[in-house]
Amino acid sequence: MAATQGELFGDGVLSVGEVNARAREVIESNFDRVRVLGEISNWRPNRSGHAYFTLKDDEAQLRVACFRGVARRLHFAPADGMRVVVTGRLTIYAAWGQFQIVADAMEPAGEGELEAALRRLVEKLRAEGLFDAARKRRLPPWPRCVGVVTSPTGAAVRDIVSTLGRRWPVADVLLAPTRVQGDGAAAEIRAALGRLARVRGVDVIIVGRGGGSREDLWAFNDEALARAIAACPVPVVAAVGHETDFTLADMAADLRAPTPTAAAELVAPVRDEVRSGVDGALERVVRTVQRRIELERRRLDQWLGSYALGRVRGRVETQAQRLDHLVERAERAVAAGIGSRRARLDATSARLEALDPRSILARGYAMCSDPDRGVPVTSRAAALAAGRLRVRFADGAVRAGSLEECS
Amino acid sequence: MATNDSETTPTPDRVPERLEDLMARLETLVAALERDEAPLEESLARFEEALAIGRRCRSILERAEARVRELVDVDEDGDARTRPFDVDA
Repeated sequence: MAATQGELFGDGVLSVGEVNARAREVIESNFDRVRVLGEISNWRPNRSGHAYFTLKDDEAQLRVACFRGVARRLHFAPADGMRVVVTGRLTIYAAWGQFQIVADAMEPAGEGELEAALRRLVEKLRAEGLFDAARKRRLPPWPRCVGVVTSPTGAAVRDIVSTLGRRWPVADVLLAPTRVQGDGAAAEIRAALGRLARVRGVDVIIVGRGGGSREDLWAFNDEALARAIAACPVPVVAAVGHETDFTLADMAADLRAPTPTAAAELVAPVRDEVRSGVDGALERVVRTVQRRIELERRRLDQWLGSYALGRVRGRVETQAQRLDHLVERAERAVAAGIGSRRARLDATSARLEALDPRSILARGYAMCSDPDRGVPVTSRAAALAAGRLRVRFADGAVRAGSLEECS
Repeated sequence: MATNDSETTPTPDRVPERLEDLMARLETLVAALERDEAPLEESLARFEEALAIGRRCRSILERAEARVRELVDVDEDGDARTRPFDVDA
């Protein structure tokens, strides 16, 4: 039987594991959480999501373990040379005898560091093409449903809703409420955006919040949020803080608005202008049809004046009937009404009446139709096939039967 | 069924008619009419369609007030569960 170390070397000789365990106990029981200021070196994120690095200053170095849960929550991109404050517990990693701090939070040491980290992030995403102008999509000109990602209690949602209501009440507003500042806000905003983007019929999304300190707005500098905005299947307008505030979300969005109110203005057209556009198109339609009727009328007159009646009677009658229908339909359209243009269409209809082909009948022509089917009869063959005719004169119609061929 | 303080209603499952589609169609019809080449019947049909689309656009534009709702949830088909959102609350 093998002797233990204690038997061979006497009391007081410890195994390596025992030493490390005891040292660890001493360290852990003598320190609460500590906050340590230093510069990152050898930043090594590994594939499992944990990151290890050395925190150093002019005098010393300290090993840092930053596990996945903590690494994922960082709101900046750590890099070598960056000054940070690490918060965590001191301990010893027994397997290596490695004295280290296990981080439970980490933040850039100063405003300058934070901004420098952001600049690096901006450069990285720019290099990836995330902000390319070619990626930016046009906003839908006349949205029917506007999605809004913001706090349900802030001024931003009120500004957006009232601006949309004033300019463009045509659209529904669908709010995906979220916190917009504090720990975890970036992930919440991202989740709200994701939900909203999946809703069918959402035409455009406004993501933003009202003004606040640089720290208050910091959630909108989150890398994952910026990527989610760029990848959103629906065009996104970002409106974070005021005119002078510029965040990663603004850069990743299809359009950046200086304020939430401005975002609503960019998204929504002015209803009266759109109405004018519709009315303008309808006016063009009516004018065009008026011209067409006049043209057809002139053609008709030419035929009537230049051909022997017998040869062209069918064509003339058909033409007359078409015009007749046109007038009737135009009158019906007027009757159904198209809003403020009604008066104009009434005037059109008066002119159409002046062109009424029935006046042609008053000049000695008749219009023939099949009395059973109501369709115009425009040829000798059709007349014989029908066997009977309805013959319309200016003052009414008669029926004619027993049709006979004549040469 | 829903017993919480806010009523929960599904959004209409019809995706609203897109105004830009209607307007594009209207422009196409106007342009075709202005070319003035089609037989009278065709022009007439276009005229009527244009008037109908114009009326449809106008009725969409007549909406008095925007509906504001809060998104509760969205299912895999893109159907949203929403509840009314009172912006003044």
